[in-house]
Amino acid sequence: MANKHYAMVIDLNTCVGCNACMAACAMENQTPVWKNSWRTYVHDLEIDPGTDHQVRRRFFPRLCNHCDNPPCMSVCPTGATHKLDNGIVLVDDELCMGCRACSMACPYDARFDVSYNDVEQGKEFYGELHHRTRPGVDKCSFCAHRVMKGLKPACVETCVGSARLFGDLNDPDDKVAKLVKTGVAKPLMAHLGTRPNVYYISEIERAR
Amino acid sequence: MEGMFYSTQNVWTWWIAIYLFLGGLGAAAVVVSCLTNMYIKTHKELVLWGNISAFVMLSVGSLFLFVHLLDHLAVIHVLNPFGLLTKPDAWIMWGTQFIVWMMVFSMIYTLPYMLETPFWRDMPLVGTILGWFGWLGKLSLSFHKVVGWLAIINGVGTVLYTGLLLQSFPAVALWHNPGVPLLFIISAFSTAMAFLLLVLHLAIKREEDHDIKVLYERTDVILISIELLIIFVFFHFTTYGLESARHTADILWNDMGWIVGFIGFGLIVPFLIEFRGVTKGWNSATPVVLAAILVLCGGYLLRHYFMYAGSYERPYPAINSIHSQSNYNLLIE
Repeated sequence: MANKHYAMVIDLNTCVGCNACMAACAMENQTPVWKNSWRTYVHDLEIDPGTDHQVRRRFFPRLCNHCDNPPCMSVCPTGATHKLDNGIVLVDDELCMGCRACSMACPYDARFDVSYNDVEQGKEFYGELHHRTRPGVDKCSFCAHRVMKGLKPACVETCVGSARLFGDLNDPDDKVAKLVKTGVAKPLMAHLGTRPNVYYISEIERAR
Repeated sequence: MEGMFYSTQNVWTWWIAIYLFLGGLGAAAVVVSCLTNMYIKTHKELVLWGNISAFVMLSVGSLFLFVHLLDHLAVIHVLNPFGLLTKPDAWIMWGTQFIVWMMVFSMIYTLPYMLETPFWRDMPLVGTILGWFGWLGKLSLSFHKVVGWLAIINGVGTVLYTGLLLQSFPAVALWHNPGVPLLFIISAFSTAMAFLLLVLHLAIKREEDHDIKVLYERTDVILISIELLIIFVFFHFTTYGLESARHTADILWNDMGWIVGFIGFGLIVPFLIEFRGVTKGWNSATPVVLAAILVLCGGYLLRHYFMYAGSYERPYPAINSIHSQSNYNLLIE
């Protein structure tokens, strides 16, 4: 049986910008929200008003793209950034020395610093459940700890507009695999050769 | 491109520029002084000055990198040479090993000269430590060329690493191209020539070194002219290339520090001074010393501007910690 190959599809037409995904992720993964650092972030963009001069808004969720050819992994000198057989890219906090080469390499702005101060502040903010003990660089893990239990990532489970879909690209019956295969859902900046596993359905694609 | 956002980063800034500058300069100085000593003219003072200065430069540069780590204890993972077996694709891993072993072998190469120099032998603490390693100095002399070549190989690796480190970041057009390692190699050897010329003119001051000075000046003129050509290639690449490269061009080619400071006073002026020196000669050492100082300043400015001008392109604005909101605002204005 082939390994699973996890991917996410985000439908930009159905994201309502409620930011519930950000809150769910922050609570699940205990991110340093006090300094505006998030594993997933929903951008509120004003897009080209066009000829009718009506300003349009687009909510644009973004996260680590769990690339098949991750530049953050190849530059990581300690091996802290590694890729699982199921495609999920993880950071081992115990190995990461926080040189931030991965942050420099990531085309998606997916990574952020966790300092000594953040570790201490995390203990106050998240209480006795706080699990992070070392500083380093952090990013989305596709909630690997949940996925391994058969659950969906926290952001997917909480999404009220069902804008986020999570699935297995190796399963031809999976909705995510179908959306990717038809080309309706497309990756970001594929020209960089990173082979990302987060795909987006844009307004134009939907209209077609 | 419409609908895209451009940002520079504000984490790997002046301190990594110093790291890259001192790393390239120090490693190239080791390579040049060892090669000069082995194949051109036996020169104890040049090796002492070149290799000990390089040791200090690499120590200071590495300290800058270490201080900026988020988890200082975890540095042990890159100091372990067996890490190369698990992370052969990471240039920081290679770079750390090249730097460490270059420092080790260059000091072992220099040790016999330190042991026979009263200045070092009589120095408090250093003299004591030298006394402990007398046996290593004798051993080094027996295999002096082998040790020298080990220092040279690791030195070349260090110089190469300073360029390949930036090249391994695919999101930034300014960095992710084969021109960067070439530019940094040429610049490192040019600054090393300049530094060793300063040493020969201001510290060693021996008449019989005239031939080495002329050789270094000639080599530096060639290196600066190649550097100017590579900078022109970068001008073309950024001005007519990808959109993110054009944003880099907007930053660089509208900045007087880059145009006048680096290209003008860091390359063209020292080129003209040294060219005049090798064709017609100077009556005093002052112009050559001035040119060497300008080359060293230019070497730092090159790396400084390269760190600040690398532009990321995304369909959303940057929010995470490596990006500078002020730079982003500047770019979209």
